[in-house]
Amino acid sequence: MSKRLCLSGFVWIASLAWASSPAASLVGKPAPDFVLKSLDGSNLRLSEFRGQVVLVNFWARWEGESRAEMPVLDHINTTYNRAGLVVLGVSVDEDERRARDFAAGMKLGYPLLLDTTPQIGRDYSIEKMPMTILIDRSGVVRFLSVGFKPGDERTYLDRIREYLRE
Amino acid sequence: MNFKYDKLSSMLRSSLLAGACMLAASLPVAAVGALAVAAPAPAAAQAAAPAVPAAPAAAATATGDGGAAAPGAAAPGAEPPGDFKTLDQEVQSMKKDVIELNKDLFVLQEELLFPANTQVAVYVSMDVGAFFALDSVTIKIDNKEVKNYLYTAREAEALLKGGVQELYLGNLKVGKHELVAFFNGKGPVERDYKRGATITFDKGVGAKYLELKITDRVAKHQPEFKIKDWD
Repeated sequence: MSKRLCLSGFVWIASLAWASSPAASLVGKPAPDFVLKSLDGSNLRLSEFRGQVVLVNFWARWEGESRAEMPVLDHINTTYNRAGLVVLGVSVDEDERRARDFAAGMKLGYPLLLDTTPQIGRDYSIEKMPMTILIDRSGVVRFLSVGFKPGDERTYLDRIREYLRE
Repeated sequence: MNFKYDKLSSMLRSSLLAGACMLAASLPVAAVGALAVAAPAPAAAQAAAPAVPAAPAAAATATGDGGAAAPGAAAPGAEPPGDFKTLDQEVQSMKKDVIELNKDLFVLQEELLFPANTQVAVYVSMDVGAFFALDSVTIKIDNKEVKNYLYTAREAEALLKGGVQELYLGNLKVGKHELVAFFNGKGPVERDYKRGATITFDKGVGAKYLELKITDRVAKHQPEFKIKDWD
């Protein structure tokens, strides 16, 4: 009984802590705009995708969860891109060359953007990687997830379908 | 700047919404539901269509009651059509007022943050652009980087079509200053191209406007980068 109480108390405190984290406060607010250079050399601005559902994944090459999540997102991109979903990967690695080499090796079908300044990390209050956010057609952050474990993609898909239907 | 502008605008919108609620409170109860439906948010761009079409039969029975229907009740037919028109007109005029106020707020903010005696504005324009595909522009004033702007394909196309971009708006003291602009992009043979242009200017009492012009020098098959002082 006491173990259950402790466990539920721990879960409650953890959820409170997440809900009060700066990143969580982004949900329901317009996504901070940014423009970054992609691997193919083009510049992409987030606000130019207004009208589409956008999944932004902040990743780092040294994070195992990032490496596990990226192929999943690639599959989601392949499936839903024509339905109006845009997937963007943003590397927050300060070492641009290594990030490029890593990304090139992943052979992903969605744009990978390189951010070597801390500004976007501050705007999005990134504390832990990977961090995935879903932005609806109006440019509002509707969903935010920190970390990745197998099975999380079901939540992503449910949300994506919901926002695509809007 | 945009964040402050949004804060001021949202405060203004909130106060206007509160005013709208007070106005609605003074109206007959049956009209409140129609107003709430017709004007969901003062800053909303959607048209305030009449709330619910009045059912003639219901209107005939409820007309004489003077708004005795319960709030939010589905009795829109109780309201004579004339009142809907008045409410709709009021909402439309409120929307116009909000837009005007937004515009005034923006102008006021510009004047407060960048008063004419210290204001300096740098604009970018492109003419033709057959020999240069713009990727980014960096500007330094008095050796200090003040702006670094990446252009998307859409933005570059807008410049090519005649758009003029306000790249930088800032404050400078009166006196001599130096501006250096670096243009990055693709040159005539799709090669990486980086060029600079510099200008020394006198900042006087009034606002200073500088234009970074990218043009094609057809004779040399090269782009040309100039800085024009709009004095």
